Amino acid sequence: MSFLVWRQYRSQAAFAALVLAVFGAVLIITGLKMASQWHTILSACTASGTCASLHEGQTSLGSVVGHDFAILSMLGPAVFGMLVGAPLLAREYEARTMDFAWAQSVTRTRWLLVKVGWVLLAAAVWGGVLAELVTWWSGPRNAAFQNWFQPNYFDQQGIVPIGYSVFATALGIAAGALFRRTLPAVAIVVGGFIGMRVWLSQDVRAHYMTPVTTYFGVAGNFNPPAGSLQVGSGMTGPNGQVLAQNFNSNVGVFNGVPISSLPHACQSLASQASMSAQNAANRCLAAAGYHSYASYQPASRYWAFQGIETGIYLAVALLLVAVTFYVVRHRDA
Amino acid sequence: MNTCAIETQGLSKRYHRVTALSDCSIKVPEGRISALVGPNGAGKTTLLRLLAGLAAPTGGSALVLGGTPRQDPSFLSEVGFLAQEIPLYRRFSAQDHIHVGAHMNRRWDAESVRTRLTGLNIPLDRPVGKLSGGQRAQVALALTLAKQPRVLLLDEPVAALDPLARRHFLGTLTAAVAEGGGELTVVLSSHLITDLERVSDHMILLSASRVQLCGDTDEMLAEHKLLVGPRKDTAALERMHKVVHTVSTPRQARLLVRLNGPVFDPAYEAEDVSLEDLVLGYMGADAPAAYAHLAAVGEDQ
Repeated sequence: MSFLVWRQYRSQAAFAALVLAVFGAVLIITGLKMASQWHTILSACTASGTCASLHEGQTSLGSVVGHDFAILSMLGPAVFGMLVGAPLLAREYEARTMDFAWAQSVTRTRWLLVKVGWVLLAAAVWGGVLAELVTWWSGPRNAAFQNWFQPNYFDQQGIVPIGYSVFATALGIAAGALFRRTLPAVAIVVGGFIGMRVWLSQDVRAHYMTPVTTYFGVAGNFNPPAGSLQVGSGMTGPNGQVLAQNFNSNVGVFNGVPISSLPHACQSLASQASMSAQNAANRCLAAAGYHSYASYQPASRYWAFQGIETGIYLAVALLLVAVTFYVVRHRDA
Repeated sequence: MNTCAIETQGLSKRYHRVTALSDCSIKVPEGRISALVGPNGAGKTTLLRLLAGLAAPTGGSALVLGGTPRQDPSFLSEVGFLAQEIPLYRRFSAQDHIHVGAHMNRRWDAESVRTRLTGLNIPLDRPVGKLSGGQRAQVALALTLAKQPRVLLLDEPVAALDPLARRHFLGTLTAAVAEGGGELTVVLSSHLITDLERVSDHMILLSASRVQLCGDTDEMLAEHKLLVGPRKDTAALERMHKVVHTVSTPRQARLLVRLNGPVFDPAYEAEDVSLEDLVLGYMGADAPAAYAHLAAVGEDQ
């Protein structure tokens, strides 16, 4: 059985290896340049004691090409799902070649198990190699800017791309089993992958664990420790309740909170534009028991988050594989 | 040769609301080549796929070599199935398919495939997508035979072939059955009745999802007669015999009759039937009225 899989996929495997080689070459060449660049920056900032305040927007580190390839790596899982996952069953149904495979003395279940097993393993390797290349390349940037927990950087490094890749491929396989046509299966991979990735990274990821919340004076200033993922910030009322924010309007808003929801005593101060009135409004709010807060996921949780997100994608992939097996076993050929 | 290689009881298959096969009961004795005939959509493909274990019946039961068709290597290794579309991996060569088969079967006679294909001058190393339709069908048949199955199910394998390729294909098939020494049973569906007449000795006639006839071809032919006579009430005739199909013109009527004894009415002249008469008669019995009218017009001319 494995022989059939190898014979079917050997040219695609060679092509994938070539893509990874090109990818690796670009990242290694630009990465080595960046490493020496980082060396120079580091000795300069150590001398002047400004290393902690290096900022992505002000310090140029790494070439545009390397950067583009790192961003491009985020498409890798979807491409694998579209080109390998979606046709895995759909193509067999379209060309009716499963009638050849199933006319041999191997059960459908075993045929599927071997085929899906090898291809998902290949997907994991594909995602893993891309991620490790980008992680290595990003080393100097991670050290300089401590931004590896931020959206997009988190998504290119560590182990999550393995989960993305296995998920995209399993999605393509399951869609192929259901639709028995390649094109709809590819469309499902594109839609499902983008949807799942955007939803998790924008709405869900920040809440994998209860964030750490720090309260401080209304007029105070607090920056979460370097390398952490900011979850939220704003004002809390006298009972600790979070005040609803309104960023859409500049009128009648104080510190992001509608003036109408502030205590009556402070409202007139808050609605005046002068600096002294604003400071007085802050003092008024502090006296009324108002606080500012910032919640964040500390940098120490990075690997826990990598593990949780990878686990979610692998679990969904497992579910999709189960659906695939059910469909192939129970639906007539 | 009393044992049945294939036996079904009330086998039925419904796809949602469409009935593909209804109450199908057939017996195919071991060592026979059975012709599966019937109009398009009669359920031939459904029957073969049920027997191959590629689809599950919605009613009734099937026994192939004494076992229910199932996803089990011991069953699958005994049954060879060749689907209508001649499924092969187009970019694989015959040689690749031979290797794949060797990895996916318990019994595998790779040498027989090479011998057969070399004998037919079919290149072993060319992708099968680049072979002609006839060559592809030969490759597929040779691969199916390499499993050394005891039951061979072929779904319209010669439909797309020219007469010469068809002859070669059926030659390969009959040679394989002869080599099988009475152990290999074949069910072959086709619309090409003359081909079937030459190779088969058993027939299953499906029409409108039902079995119309199943049995030894010679017996079936002997049981039917074409009665030619005046156009008149057939009630008397139908008390004893079964009138399968009638084609009437103003002057005469031609009745395909399944006999249940001798015909006493001297008004009719009895003619022997060919396999084609039989198939067309049973197919016509279920044809829409429009077709019957066309047949009558044809008789008039």
